[in-house]
Amino acid sequence: MSWVVWLLAGISTVAILAFALVLVYYYNRIRVLSNRIEEAWAQIDVQLKKRYDLVPNLVETVKGYAKHEKELFERIAEARERMVRGGSREEQMKASNELTSALRSLFAIAEAYPTLRASENFKLLQEQLEGIENKIAYARQYYNSSVLEYNNTITTIPGKWFAAGRVKHPFLEIPEAERRPVKVEF
Amino acid sequence: MGRLSFYDEIARNKRSSILLAFSVSLILFALVYVFVSLLAPGLVIISLPISILLIALYIYGSYMYGDSVVLASVNARPAEGREYQYLRDTVEGLSIAAGIPPPRVYIIDSDEMNAFATGRDPEHASIAVTTGLMRELNRLELEGVIGHEISHIRNRDILFMTLVAVMVGLAAILSHIILRSFRYGGIRRRRGEREREGGIESLIILVGLVLAILAPIVTRLVQFAISRRREFLADASSAELTRYPEGLASALEKIMKKNRGRMEVSEAISHLFFVDPNRSPLDNLYATHPPIEERIRRLRAM
Repeated sequence: MSWVVWLLAGISTVAILAFALVLVYYYNRIRVLSNRIEEAWAQIDVQLKKRYDLVPNLVETVKGYAKHEKELFERIAEARERMVRGGSREEQMKASNELTSALRSLFAIAEAYPTLRASENFKLLQEQLEGIENKIAYARQYYNSSVLEYNNTITTIPGKWFAAGRVKHPFLEIPEAERRPVKVEF
Repeated sequence: MGRLSFYDEIARNKRSSILLAFSVSLILFALVYVFVSLLAPGLVIISLPISILLIALYIYGSYMYGDSVVLASVNARPAEGREYQYLRDTVEGLSIAAGIPPPRVYIIDSDEMNAFATGRDPEHASIAVTTGLMRELNRLELEGVIGHEISHIRNRDILFMTLVAVMVGLAAILSHIILRSFRYGGIRRRRGEREREGGIESLIILVGLVLAILAPIVTRLVQFAISRRREFLADASSAELTRYPEGLASALEKIMKKNRGRMEVSEAISHLFFVDPNRSPLDNLYATHPPIEERIRRLRAM
């Protein structure tokens, strides 16, 4: 009779230990993935700040040539402010996308002024801003793939059982113009 | 799926690197033993701890400074100044997309189109690009190539491949020295002085000869085995990073048309490169790299 008790005690000890191990594993895993999303956002934030600092220089340079584009300058200033003012990440990214399209219009206007286009300062600013735009796009891609991994982990079994009511993270939306279809298989 | 496979790849690369360091240590140890027994049999016992220490130092040096050795051997210079701003931006952007710190960027002066990545981990990594590559490729194509190299860094391919490069380099030099000493008769003369040990000596000479012949073949086999799967995986990961497989496919097409395979870099580091630096893409015999047509075909099928 007593060996049955011992057997049961043994089995339940092993089961509890195994459960504790899996619990620790998933607790840490979800934490790591959630931290990665924060880190990915920090990458985006760095680029947004850099852009925030560069845009006034560009606007000043162009203003010397195209004073009458008041409306566009205002649009740029407004989107620039909203981009870093806070609010949700989606709102910040939306402002950033608007700034991108406003800057495109600005560069299009600059095409009409050969001396502006030829100025070293303008060329440098244009290069820097284009570089930052690319980096924002890449940082957003990393953000979204981190979110995907997090969401997959907390919505599939067994991660779901350990997610303790955590909700899915929203993705950052990709502007229509940047969508390029691709399917990757290994 | 993608993420899972690159975590597997990281684990695999770490395992392979340890295994490589271990087997190279054993081979070197055997080589030293044969060498010392041939030239100074009395010193064998003293030489053992010394050789163990030196080999340990060598492994450590390869791990810490392998990337500097590789970069110096191709005369790479840091990509500084405004003319390379665009290259540095591309590298930084793709490293952000891959979630690794931005690697250092180097330039190799060559008309051939090529690139490679080296280093021991993503925190200590470098990417080198030829001036020919910069000149011939457009933005999307360059992104494809850089994405390929960034994937090598993220997957920790660079650790294993750099270790192979540096360690293979030494094995090649060592076996070269042994073979040469036979050729100039240095060992034959010594053998004359010790007629009575003739039987053992010829055995040792035989072993030394076998090792000397084997070393380059073994290392060649290692190079051969490591390249293909890694290259295909890095191509696929590049497409995943840039979201545009056609960019890399088109870069490979340009390289196939224009590269002549005349970079003349040491054979020991050729497997690090994006495409074989010493052979024309049309020459498939003895290739360490997967055929370019096959890589293009796989990219276009994505």
